[in-house]
Amino acid sequence: MSSHSPQAVQVTTVAAARPCLVACPSCDLLYDVSELRHGQKAVCARCGDFLTRKLEDGFEKLQSYAIAGLVCLAIGCSFPFLSFKSSGLESVMTLPQMVTQLYQQGRADMALLVAGFIIVIPAVVLVLLLALSTCIIHRKYYSWMVPVTRLAFHLQSWSMVEVFFIGVLVSLVKIGHMATVVIGISFWGYGAFSLLFVFALASLDRLQYWNELDRLADINSAR
Amino acid sequence: MPGDTAASRHLASCHLCLKLADASAHRCPRCGEALHQRKSGSLQRTLALLVTAVVLYIPANVLPIMITDQLGSAEPSTILGGVVLLIDMGSVPIAAVIFIASVMVPLGKLLALFYLCWSVSRGRPSNPRQRTVMYRATELIGKWSMVDVFVVSILVALVHLTGLLVILPGSAAVAFAGVVIVTILAAESFDPRVIWDQQEETDE
Repeated sequence: MSSHSPQAVQVTTVAAARPCLVACPSCDLLYDVSELRHGQKAVCARCGDFLTRKLEDGFEKLQSYAIAGLVCLAIGCSFPFLSFKSSGLESVMTLPQMVTQLYQQGRADMALLVAGFIIVIPAVVLVLLLALSTCIIHRKYYSWMVPVTRLAFHLQSWSMVEVFFIGVLVSLVKIGHMATVVIGISFWGYGAFSLLFVFALASLDRLQYWNELDRLADINSAR
Repeated sequence: MPGDTAASRHLASCHLCLKLADASAHRCPRCGEALHQRKSGSLQRTLALLVTAVVLYIPANVLPIMITDQLGSAEPSTILGGVVLLIDMGSVPIAAVIFIASVMVPLGKLLALFYLCWSVSRGRPSNPRQRTVMYRATELIGKWSMVDVFVVSILVALVHLTGLLVILPGSAAVAFAGVVIVTILAAESFDPRVIWDQQEETDE
């Protein structure tokens, strides 16, 4: 993938309506990114912050990753995640059980945080992104798309799917010496889900997304 | 000389959808989010949240993060105690992961944000690019400190062989999750564009 530093523009007129202008989120410098081609990304020349990346097939990718991710999350929640055996005793854990176990130990606050960060928020984000990308691919525009997009963008920064998976690996090493730990089907399901979730968000570009939504709204109002 | 900034053209960039709108508008015309040319009260808000994080950081390290109950004898362990235990057991790489995620990342983040606030309030014009990169690093690494909280949750759920071996969550886990959430909010309320505004003022 080629990297492309756009020319900083000297804006002579206030052209707020031009969709090709973007201000760097870190240093406020204005750039014209209308010349970007497929696969190219624009980086701020002054502070190095990422501006936007153009992907012609971004919405199709987003849709596929969202569907696959939701399937993997369903697998991740339905089967044993890990099981622990010692002296003839065995305890099996599924992801929903992890939350209820914390709740039963009197840690409702932790149960809420963990359930939110690793299951509820990521699942809601994927469902919303799936609905939005499907509408955009089929060139449909509805008025609910703007508030739903806002919600999805707000929620996505609070998902900690990949952090949790590293936590799982750390736990494995931590208790591996105490007893036999068996990896279940859900472990692989959730692992695949965390990868697909990262891929889904990587194919979603803020600026390109909103510009596309603007275009759809224009087409819709012209009809 | 680089080009114009949005502020110099009386434009404000929406933090959610990146739309450029007239700076006098209160709401983004495209997505409806509150529109600010610069985040309002950014320095005070960041500092207030940082102080909250420092306060929460004390119980997070003093109280036990988890209690191992083996054959009826309960043994509480703190974050640092857990790291020492892991080194004793010989799992140095895992000790390093926990140490980096639970001690170095939150402390480094607090120090970096305090430094950024201090440098902005002093109006220090040097190295704006370096400070912007520092800010973005604090934004990126923020949520990785949650690793230890997740490890405790997994161990609590997995290891409950009643009478033989049970792991219970300690109060430090919630305090530590609080530190992580509050520092994420603190990083979010800081506005790196102020660094560049000061740079431009000294250039003129």
